[in-house]
Amino acid sequence: MSSAPAIECVDVVKTYEEGRIRALNSMSLCVDPGELVAVVGPSGCGKSTLLHLIGALDRPDSGEIHVAGHDLAHERNLDHYRARHVGLVFQLHNLLPTLNALENVQVPMFELGIDAAERRQRARRLVALVGLEERERNRPAQLSGGERQRVAVARALANDPAVLLADEPTGSLDSEAGRNVLELLERIREEQKMTLVLVTHDPGVAERADRIVRMLDGCLDEPPARMPALAPPTLQPVQSYSSGV
Amino acid sequence: MSFVSLVFRNLFRQRMRTFLTVVGISVGITIVVALGAITGGVRETVGGWLRVGGADFVVARKGSADFSFSTVSETEWAQVAAMDGVERATGILMRVTRHGSNPYFVLMGIRPAQLAQAPPELISGRLPAPGSKDEILLGSGAAADTGSAQGSHVTIDGERFLITGFYRSDDVISDSGAYAPLEAVQEIARTPGVVTAVYVAAAGGTDPGALALAIEDAMPTLTTVASVDEWGKVDQGIRIMDAMNLAVSTLAVVLGAIAVMNTMIMAVFERTREFGILRAVGWRGSRIMRLVLTEALLLCLVAAFIGTALGVLATRGVMLIEAVQGLLEPTYSLDVFLRAVLIASAVGVVGALYPAYRAVRPSPMEALRHE
Repeated sequence: MSSAPAIECVDVVKTYEEGRIRALNSMSLCVDPGELVAVVGPSGCGKSTLLHLIGALDRPDSGEIHVAGHDLAHERNLDHYRARHVGLVFQLHNLLPTLNALENVQVPMFELGIDAAERRQRARRLVALVGLEERERNRPAQLSGGERQRVAVARALANDPAVLLADEPTGSLDSEAGRNVLELLERIREEQKMTLVLVTHDPGVAERADRIVRMLDGCLDEPPARMPALAPPTLQPVQSYSSGV
Repeated sequence: MSFVSLVFRNLFRQRMRTFLTVVGISVGITIVVALGAITGGVRETVGGWLRVGGADFVVARKGSADFSFSTVSETEWAQVAAMDGVERATGILMRVTRHGSNPYFVLMGIRPAQLAQAPPELISGRLPAPGSKDEILLGSGAAADTGSAQGSHVTIDGERFLITGFYRSDDVISDSGAYAPLEAVQEIARTPGVVTAVYVAAAGGTDPGALALAIEDAMPTLTTVASVDEWGKVDQGIRIMDAMNLAVSTLAVVLGAIAVMNTMIMAVFERTREFGILRAVGWRGSRIMRLVLTEALLLCLVAAFIGTALGVLATRGVMLIEAVQGLLEPTYSLDVFLRAVLIASAVGVVGALYPAYRAVRPSPMEALRHE
């Protein structure tokens, strides 16, 4: 285990609607470099909120978040942090509809001032990495759900981030496509020694992680060594907050 | 893929909306270009008038609403001519009348001897003879309009003149007019002893500016005009046209900016989620603002190009009207086209500022949640 954690969250609090909804309640978490952590828990427990705060898509009300040496509470240039240090994969692919696969992968590279030829070359390499060389000219509407998600993975890797954050990456895919995306994420994480935090509802997905973090009501539940079969969402206690992602 | 290609693609997403916005702004630019070309033409004509007979400046009645309404008595003319530093003081009486198909035919009454001192560019024939009362020198435009021949006679306002020759002038009004003996024109106009203005050429070594000031001091009811910018002292026409030009340009900017704002607001609203995606992958707010502003700017520059072409076509169309031909000659100066581009750019930037701000106002997460 490395001495400096890749991700460290300390007493993170995040509320919505003027404090009426408490999405994260003194949440603390530590993730080692190169570790694959699956965050599980019932709907509305704050999994996605946690991921979004680590990805600097939002700011916490209080608490500290350190990622790859960056103190997000005091980071002045969160755009650069998002562009350079983290890669995000969403449940819905979130690709730009007017751009083809190759172009979508190039989008994050604009912020690092990479020239056009280098952008194209890098994007080709990443599209090949996710096995879509033959489909690189296709727009999202011309790709299957699994293919779109693979493009989204390639885009997340565009600037060679230290941390990959995946929010239900298989949630909208059929089982085979989901398995392929998961295998892809595992392979990339292995090859690139990347830290991967995965939010999932799927016990099968969570089981493949190095460590499972279980959340309940906006904070850490006791982490089991291995993932027990999750109860169906309908049997979970009613939550007061839905992340909406 | 470059930033600019991204801009183009975004504009082509809603082709009809883009097209209609371009059409709207183009109409504004068309009017700006057409008015600019016409005003420029009028200014050029005025500039030509001011230099008739190699004059340094013109002396006319102060506060005239229209130059042709100015009246300078022959006594005043003689006083001007007698002032120190005046080499030549040529009195000209302008009479605007209908002749041939030209409703604005300008008959310039001048003493033939003075016309001989600084004659216009002769094409053929000779100048009216000194002392003659019934000879006339026709402009080439007027000759072409009436099909008159040298040696033939022409009747203007009931007065019969012998055509002694033809001249050419750069300004359309002079070219479509004629020079006739002053006494004859005074008779036609029923204004004996009066000229419209006195064209003064300063003697060598005399500062024309100082001479003009001396004339104004000596004759407070008269004024001097040395350049087009001073024309407003004796004619409100250019001032009115300039004011109209400014008003139309301002209106074009305001209406164009509203059209651009409407288009860009709709585009930004529809693409809120996409802006969230761009923010999520690390795009700075300033880059997204630049994207929106560049889209609007490009839209307006295309409109400027189309509007300019339409403006030129529109003025050419106006020139087909017979009544206008002898009155106007539009000038397509660089200044007119630069103004069109400047106005279009202003429309683009002003119209897109608020939409650009709206594009980056929500946090990435709020934008991503947008449906």
